[in-house]
Amino acid sequence: MMDELLERCREGCEAAKKHGATDAEVVAQRAEEISVSIEKHDLQIARSSHESTFGIRVLIGDRLGFASTNATRDLSDACRDAITLARATPGDSHNRFPDSQPLPTVENLLDECASEFSAADAVDCASKMLRVAEAADRRVIVGDGAFSSLRTTRAVANTLGVAASEAASLFTHHVLVTAKEDERVSSMDFQFGACRHAKDIDVAPAVVLACRNAIDSLGSAPGETFQGVVILSPNAVLDILVAPLLFQTNARNVLRGLSRWRDRLGHPVASPALSVVDDGTRPGGVASSSFDREGVPHAALPLIERGRLVSFLHNTYSSSALGVPNTGHAAGSANTLPMIGPTNLALAPGAASLEELVTDTDQGLLVGRFSGNVDPISGDFSGVAKAAHLLRHGRRVCPVAGTLVAGNVFDALCAIMDISRNTQQVFGFTLPYLRIGGVSVTAG
Amino acid sequence: MENLLESTVRQSSSWIEARFQERRSLILSVRNGHFDQCSSVRASGAGIRALVGGAFGFASTTDLSERGLRNAVSAANALADATSRGKTGQLVRLAPAAPTRGTFAVATNDPLDAHTLEEKIDLVLRIDEQIRRASPKITSSSVTYEETLEERIVATTEGTLARVLDMKPSLRVLAVAAADGKQSMGLETVGVTGGWAELLARRSPDELVAEAVRIAVDQLSAPHAPGGPATVVLDPELVGILCHEAIGHTVEADIVLGGAITAGKLGTRVASELVTMCDSGCPPYAPHPVGLMAVDDEGVRAGRTVLVERGILRSFLHNRETAAFFGVPPTGNARAFLYSDEPIIRMTNTYIEPGDTPVEALLAGVEDGYYLRGFAMSGQADSNAEFMFGVREARRIERGKVGAMLRGVTISGNAFHVLESIDGLGNDFAWENGAGVCGKGQPAKVDAGGPHVRCRITLGGRQA
Repeated sequence: MMDELLERCREGCEAAKKHGATDAEVVAQRAEEISVSIEKHDLQIARSSHESTFGIRVLIGDRLGFASTNATRDLSDACRDAITLARATPGDSHNRFPDSQPLPTVENLLDECASEFSAADAVDCASKMLRVAEAADRRVIVGDGAFSSLRTTRAVANTLGVAASEAASLFTHHVLVTAKEDERVSSMDFQFGACRHAKDIDVAPAVVLACRNAIDSLGSAPGETFQGVVILSPNAVLDILVAPLLFQTNARNVLRGLSRWRDRLGHPVASPALSVVDDGTRPGGVASSSFDREGVPHAALPLIERGRLVSFLHNTYSSSALGVPNTGHAAGSANTLPMIGPTNLALAPGAASLEELVTDTDQGLLVGRFSGNVDPISGDFSGVAKAAHLLRHGRRVCPVAGTLVAGNVFDALCAIMDISRNTQQVFGFTLPYLRIGGVSVTAG
Repeated sequence: MENLLESTVRQSSSWIEARFQERRSLILSVRNGHFDQCSSVRASGAGIRALVGGAFGFASTTDLSERGLRNAVSAANALADATSRGKTGQLVRLAPAAPTRGTFAVATNDPLDAHTLEEKIDLVLRIDEQIRRASPKITSSSVTYEETLEERIVATTEGTLARVLDMKPSLRVLAVAAADGKQSMGLETVGVTGGWAELLARRSPDELVAEAVRIAVDQLSAPHAPGGPATVVLDPELVGILCHEAIGHTVEADIVLGGAITAGKLGTRVASELVTMCDSGCPPYAPHPVGLMAVDDEGVRAGRTVLVERGILRSFLHNRETAAFFGVPPTGNARAFLYSDEPIIRMTNTYIEPGDTPVEALLAGVEDGYYLRGFAMSGQADSNAEFMFGVREARRIERGKVGAMLRGVTISGNAFHVLESIDGLGNDFAWENGAGVCGKGQPAKVDAGGPHVRCRITLGGRQA
């Protein structure tokens, strides 16, 4: 299948040249998915989909056009669409394709037996998620959830010699759990789990954690108003800090003049406690693969080292425009032009346990999730702390509801006081708990 | 394709719903004079939903041959059977629905296909340049034009064979301003169901640019708002997002059954008696909303559903499954984004009906409060109707006079408490939420709006 898909990409490149392209790139993606969704604490529906999509990017001189199609028998309509767009749009000297480079071997991406994973297996896994929740506590309801088995094959070829293909399998599950006791309803808790091999599927940890967090947030009080310390859970770190961090390190935003860190390479942008690495080659990682959307090899890339900004994320366009090496972060599917995005992004763990972070807090708020507004440009954030707990004299006092937290992401990055040693996987992100000072907390 | 779909469902011994969809999209996005996107996307395929043993199964395929559809039917039946074996709750039944037959096309005299690619490219380049020329404080500009042309066919074993021809263009205009180390942005959008003329008539490019630039520049020097409860006048865009995001999802019957705050509250007061809120595929106010649709993806005709009538909760939004559970007729709200998605309950155009107070009078009646305009495309709402939304433009009102701008304002609270606090409805009406998509596992193009309203709400800002 990999070779067949790559061959179609090569044929597409030739077809695009025959239609008038100076150079061409064809990316292909074949996905076979079985999923079972959970609603209202019962199985809702089992689904299957099989789809191949081709994306064709052409250059006529330095003018660029892109078209995608899932009509895989004939790519000629898509070639013509891409050529028409290229002819109609203005040129840009940085529109170009990458040259071929050796690719790393990324281990543990494909379960050779994944094709044997059936709808009945997926139903069993989803049913087990419900049974685990019921065994954890009768007061919880899995309001929403899913189990999914996905097999993908990706291929990319261009007229400069790039020719790469890779197959992968991924098993994911998630739950949204609420607890109810009498008239009291808890905050909703979200947890996620993933693995690459069917033998490694274990839905219990995510479900048990979601149930425990939901139960812990029953009986919430109004909270307190203060300016001070918050401890962000991995989910809250994702909700508040990760999007602005990625916005600022995206080289396209440097080019657009939108990144406030555009002149800060080598300078401090965060507390010395913080180090951030993106690594698309991590064995078995949720977002691992040997090459990016353009066929450029992935590699481990430090973004922030002990608080100093050390790199931006680049694709071929931004590396050309800024005259720096390409970091292999072209992102996107066969339906879109290459953008820039992370792979497996990790905030390096610290030394303290979560309980030590709590013990060190005289007055504070432990934030489980965040629901609100984060402006990636200004960094201003303001929203409701969900699954939150008031902290006093180093102890959790009670769960609180309706408490607002507000501040600025860039101030918060510099105000990180401590980082937990335990981390959690949330989609492609590996995130610890962060203890941060100077945040505005307003009782609801 | 209509004949093939109909013969496929006729041959099935189980209940089958077969949908064909062909979608063509064009995205043109310019930033600072350079093209970010110049993309054409074509996708076509069929989705088959089967009901076996009281459970659904769904299979999608891009093989549109007779054999390909037959295989998808077999797969959907097998998936339904697998689901039914693991199901522990109530079995699925479907409420009766009269078969729908015919072709339903968007009404326009100015179809998008009648305009050349060059004309569309010229438009985005011209707007982009206009933004950067508007003020020396503008450091970045971005314009995106997006259009989707779609054909959908729904066939069911009960005799429905409905063909829908749809067309939705949109424009997004972003201005970023900077000064003294501060950055701010102004984002204006417009989207319609219709053609080129309908898009440009809803909000002109000049108006979009002027508003985006004004907000971006003015916010640079605006102070942060203090937090706390306040009397506010919300514009139709914020009223729309409140209707859709904070209230509308809590009256989707699948969410109701999942434990939403509205469960068990039909017939009870949930809002001020001034409030009548509806969802309608074919609403009577301002033409060309983005959620316009005559028939849903189960083949049910979309009508006007009164959700809240003079403050009393009257109905939920249903597909055929939840309608059967509640013992009511389906409301025509089953929608699927792509052929590879199964239909789920979605809103169409959700709104509060207008009142009779001039907007100037609503503002004049505020002694100390805020005039809030525009959704900042950020926020979230839960099924308990608690919400938090970013506000694009906030201005202080003192003794009825609208004054200076504030930045970083969010609104939060319980949406039903906000509805209960409404003491004035404007006599205006606008759809203002048509450029984005609603996410609920799969995207959906929806619209929302209403008149200006005066109410109490909690502002999130910074402590002094």
